[in-house]
Amino acid sequence: MAPLEAPVEKWTGKIRELKLGSGGRKTITVGGGTTLPFVKFEGAQPHRPAIAIEVQDKEPTDWSEFLVSAWGDALKNPGAWAKKAAEFGADLLYIRLASAHPEASNTGAAQAKKSASEVLSAVDLPVIFVGPDVAEKDNEVLVAVSDVAKGQRVGLGNCVEKNYKTIAATCMADGHVAIAKTPIEINLAKQLNILLSDVGLSPDSILMDPTTGALGYGLEYTYSVMERLRLAALMGDGMTSMPMICTAGEESWRQKESKATLDVPQAWGDNQERSLIWENVTAISLLAAGADILVLRHPKTVVTVKAALDKSF
Amino acid sequence: MALTGIEIYKYLPKTNCKKCNFPTCLAFAMKVAARVVDITACPDLSAQSKAALESAGRPPIRLVKFGGDTHKVEVGNETVMFRHEKTFYHPPAIMVRIKDTASKEDIAKLVDEVGGYQVERVGMKLTMDGFAVENASKDQARFLEAVETVLAKSGLAVALMSDNPATMDAAVAKAAARKPVVYAATKENWSGMADIAKKHSCPLVVRDSSGLENLVALSEKVAQAGIEDIILDPGVDSFKSSIDSLTEIRRLALKKNFRPLGFPVMTFPGVQAKTTEEEAALAAEQISKYSSVVVLEHFSPALAYPLLTLRLNIYTDPQKPIQMAAGIYEVGAPKPDSPLCITTNFSLTYFSVAGEIEASGVPSWLLICDTEGLSVLTAWAAGKFDAERIAKAVKQFNVADKISHKSIVLPGKVAVLRGELEEELSGWKVLVGPMEAMDVGGYFKKTWKP
Amino acid sequence: METLSDKPNKIKVVFQPSGKSALVAPGTLVLDAAVQAGVPLDTPCGGQGRCGRCLVRVESGNVFRPQNPHLTAKQVDEGWILSCITQVVGELVVTVPLPKEREKIVVQTAATRKAAAVRCEFPRLPAVRRVYLELPRPSLEDNAGDLERLKRALANTQGIKDVDVVLPIMRTLSRTLREADWKVTITLDTHDKGGVPRLIDVQAGEKKGQLWGAAIDIGTTNVWVDLVDLISGRSAGRASMLNRQVPRGEDVISRIIYSQRDGGLDELRQLVLSAINDLVAELAVGSKIDAREIQSMVVAGNTTMAHFFLGMPARTIREEPYVPGAIFFPVYTAAELGIKINPYASVYTVPAVAAYVGGDISAGAISSCIFRSDKLTLFLDVGTNGEIVMGGADWMTTCACSAGPAFEGAGMRFGVRAAKGAIEDVTINTSTLEPTIRVIGDAEPVGICGSGLISALAEMLLTGVVDRSGRMNVARLQEKARNGKSRARVGDHGVEYVLAWAGETSIGEDIVLTEVDINNLIRTKAAIYAGIAVMARNVGVPLENVEEVLIGGSFGQHINVEKAIQIGLLPDLPWDRFKFLGNTSLSGAYNILMSKHARAQVEEVVGKMTYFELVADASFMDEFTAAMFLPHTEMNRFPSVAALLGDRHESSGTP
Repeated sequence: MAPLEAPVEKWTGKIRELKLGSGGRKTITVGGGTTLPFVKFEGAQPHRPAIAIEVQDKEPTDWSEFLVSAWGDALKNPGAWAKKAAEFGADLLYIRLASAHPEASNTGAAQAKKSASEVLSAVDLPVIFVGPDVAEKDNEVLVAVSDVAKGQRVGLGNCVEKNYKTIAATCMADGHVAIAKTPIEINLAKQLNILLSDVGLSPDSILMDPTTGALGYGLEYTYSVMERLRLAALMGDGMTSMPMICTAGEESWRQKESKATLDVPQAWGDNQERSLIWENVTAISLLAAGADILVLRHPKTVVTVKAALDKSF
Repeated sequence: MALTGIEIYKYLPKTNCKKCNFPTCLAFAMKVAARVVDITACPDLSAQSKAALESAGRPPIRLVKFGGDTHKVEVGNETVMFRHEKTFYHPPAIMVRIKDTASKEDIAKLVDEVGGYQVERVGMKLTMDGFAVENASKDQARFLEAVETVLAKSGLAVALMSDNPATMDAAVAKAAARKPVVYAATKENWSGMADIAKKHSCPLVVRDSSGLENLVALSEKVAQAGIEDIILDPGVDSFKSSIDSLTEIRRLALKKNFRPLGFPVMTFPGVQAKTTEEEAALAAEQISKYSSVVVLEHFSPALAYPLLTLRLNIYTDPQKPIQMAAGIYEVGAPKPDSPLCITTNFSLTYFSVAGEIEASGVPSWLLICDTEGLSVLTAWAAGKFDAERIAKAVKQFNVADKISHKSIVLPGKVAVLRGELEEELSGWKVLVGPMEAMDVGGYFKKTWKP
Repeated sequence: METLSDKPNKIKVVFQPSGKSALVAPGTLVLDAAVQAGVPLDTPCGGQGRCGRCLVRVESGNVFRPQNPHLTAKQVDEGWILSCITQVVGELVVTVPLPKEREKIVVQTAATRKAAAVRCEFPRLPAVRRVYLELPRPSLEDNAGDLERLKRALANTQGIKDVDVVLPIMRTLSRTLREADWKVTITLDTHDKGGVPRLIDVQAGEKKGQLWGAAIDIGTTNVWVDLVDLISGRSAGRASMLNRQVPRGEDVISRIIYSQRDGGLDELRQLVLSAINDLVAELAVGSKIDAREIQSMVVAGNTTMAHFFLGMPARTIREEPYVPGAIFFPVYTAAELGIKINPYASVYTVPAVAAYVGGDISAGAISSCIFRSDKLTLFLDVGTNGEIVMGGADWMTTCACSAGPAFEGAGMRFGVRAAKGAIEDVTINTSTLEPTIRVIGDAEPVGICGSGLISALAEMLLTGVVDRSGRMNVARLQEKARNGKSRARVGDHGVEYVLAWAGETSIGEDIVLTEVDINNLIRTKAAIYAGIAVMARNVGVPLENVEEVLIGGSFGQHINVEKAIQIGLLPDLPWDRFKFLGNTSLSGAYNILMSKHARAQVEEVVGKMTYFELVADASFMDEFTAAMFLPHTEMNRFPSVAALLGDRHESSGTP
């Protein structure tokens, strides 16, 4: 019979390539795709999605026992934690400067510099730093980190619609990448990219965080917004074509399906198995929707997702 | 290709006669385009128009039904590549493979476990769909015994897996009332399998993992043999080709209207998996991307619950406004003396209020009232955000137990509700917040006093 | 057209009437030559070719001028140029106009962008008519009863077979006929379709001259009355006043809630009734007639206003599934309704389409003539709310967007209605970021009206005072501070931009536009644009295929299309596709008053319109959020604005 003609879409756009890491630090490039995720018959995905592991600059107090036992004492020290994350196979690290939150330890620039230096000297992986998501504190600690990491092209976030100018400016000055975070909505994502570009930040230095909904907690919204962003980019929209980062681990481990260990309904099954699959399923379906960087928490999920990626490419 | 409202309208009589129960022909056309109503609801359609519209409206992916009266399964009939384009209509069946090489006791136990599995999520009871019983032993008697056990112990749907037409015929005869899926026609045995499927009016799976062209050839042969209900198994059991192949199949069906691939697809995500996690991962990918029948190698509640939840998520109608669950939310880490604000459950309203509170650095309690996904003014206008509903939310979520003061901040736009709300919530102080979420930081700093 | 040449020599440019001159290189902008010559020209926009105020007239000599929308073809023929974009080619003599003359030209140019109103013509056929009858005196041979005598004459002279007579007229008929010596002028009302005409007035002798009717528009904010001579079709006067229901709630929802109180509905009914009666009385006095001489009335209003007018509960309009008490309203007599005209006169209430698309829009669909158009037409009525009709003779769709009254100045810090003292136009200088304002009536400003808000926002966007999300660039504004006074500052209501300093106003305080105001404006414009976009998408026609945009409502009169497109309120279509119609509800009521054909037409149109409930439309929030940006998230929908902003982003639509 006649050979089947592949139903190729003629995309005019592509996902921007984004490089993290520089100045002696390992580099990683994500994006660059000219096709939908994992669809090979019509284009290329030159860089496979990357796995980031979340590290915090203070010991988390509300983490699941399964996470705590997997990480052990490393949780007490960001440098040690970063090192262990590298051993567990992270492509890059996602450092949450949680101690700066006014309701946590309310630390400031000095502590942020110290934590950042510890992480940066402990590992040579590319790094993303995010603040506590409180505007004033974010600006304070991220500007401090930017200075420490000058020339190493780290990610700094989160830029949000109400607070992006300071972080964008420091990214421009020190050659970093800005994380643009928006509520789960396609227009808001594009709008923030435009605002960041309008203040002079190169679109090639923006990583989008479309806000992750965990499995059972808005996953489908994130999923569709990401698919729409990807499609828009492939159709030639330069303001939606930034690579995307998803905090799948954080969101999935926040839910009661991953936290609860007491009075769990029988139908939920084994606590640890379920918690792991919850993070795993969240991560995999976001990959299918177009995630370029997944931020995970449990080392076993990292192994499963990396194995899936190995097979996919 | 689906027609737009105005394209359908051109075929209608344009009399606005209202016999279809819609006010105008155009309104009817729009509803037909949205698949809310069938074109046949128009009694005055000319035969010519009817033929034209029906051929344009023929589903590019066939709806295939199987299962008995106790559990009916419908898969296929999808019309879009992406759920946001409209919605995905028929969630994939999630089944569990049972090999007849297992002991009768083990089979019975597994059937009980899967058959009895039920988990509740957002008020819905989620269950598995059935079993794929495989003639792994190649022994007919053993296979029939396994099939009997499954049929006797559970009312769920079944797929019967055997390469041997004679064995299959016997098994299908036993399970006929359950309308089983016949698995599978291959290039060797397709003719015999087609006869069986035809005889019992059962859907037939065509399997060829050596490339889509061969799968197409097989599908065409089976169709020519008179089989209408076909399910495709392209043999994607690895991340390597799953999305790639399944995207190609669906795109050919939808965009090129390519009939030989216009059928639901069946996959086996666990065949190559070394761990349950790996099986879960590929199953998750295939539920997201285009599988209509997912057959698992393992079953455990901890695997089933996340997968059933994913299926629910992906197959939720995206046209409905995004809603937050009503309840009391913590923004930052509020203390008992932190402010308490209320707003509606439209997601963007929630995000903008929560975002502004977060940015203000003042941790707060945010009570979300169920307004059916409407924003503040719209909900108020429609009577869905009134004193009664707010008071109900305050009581329902035991808000008073969380805070040490008894004051609640109303959105400035519905300041008019203040008096009524104070009546409804005796002992509470009702404060009027800013008109715009943008001002909430300033409001907390300058005005707010519990 | 002249072209640029490369003459090496300097060229002399003379500025009249002062006679000052400058020697400049070819290619120099006339504006720069003026600066060199010491002739100051005003450039409120900073020399961007945007405000049209640096114009001068070429008396002799050659220039190179790019095309610019701020001059009409006629003005170009007369030699007017914009000095900021026009280059000197050869020896040149130009005249600088006096500021007064200049403003006249600017306003004229703006006026030509508003094409003349369309008026829909119908064959004249009012529902009431006057008939002069000379009855034969009764005799022994001809002893028919008085009424039968009258009917016989009607049948013989007019072909009218039967007539209904109201009881009070019946009681006085015999006397009237005799006193009039059997020569009477009667008024017949034929409002009832196919029914028997009603005799509603009998007067002695032959009455000539006007036969009076009244067209009414009950707006949520304003009530309008047009007193009309049904014979000539001429208006004897229009009058309006604030809807007296306003203190009971500014919008329809608040009023519906108010109406649910004890006695609330009746109070609202009385309030609107008294407004109508007072306006009618005022016009009657003006025309030196008795209001009881008014024989016919047509009332158009949104669905809620119509319900209140008739004293019908409106609660279900507000609640899902948003069902009004009626769409078609029966005809009642003035006496039944409490209208103080001829008590037996019929009052026709224009039918609605749905809960939020009322008789005002049905009437607008008539007066705008959209129902006859063979072009794809968009009809917008922007008032306290925004309603949209799309389509033409073949089909029509309609929806309502809850836009809110921002363009009427409501809810804005210094918002005022378009009246004397309102800032109606703003230009911001690109380099200094200083505003130039134009005030209605050349007065000191008291506030800013809808058109002023639109132009202010457009200018703020084009000059970078705000970013595309509407947030102010405070740092940049503060750099430009003059004498230590920055136009931007943080006030009690957040960041604000000063349009006029206290000393320049008649209210003694700074007139500012706050970020919250801007947000409110953006939301309002986004609701309207999103409504238009969703409707086009639902029907399946691309917005750029719209051939004509008809704008009704109070808002239409002053708005500048160019600026409205720049903020993303109106779709980016060529300006000549926009037409302003004024109060289309009132003119629709007039059409119906004047012609039973128009009445039949409105009833047909109502049945033909397909209504969309935007609240129930999933894509509305999506479109709305996309429109909550300046001019829009999808810049490719606003190519003319993209060109102005020098958009550097490649952008196609998001799926």
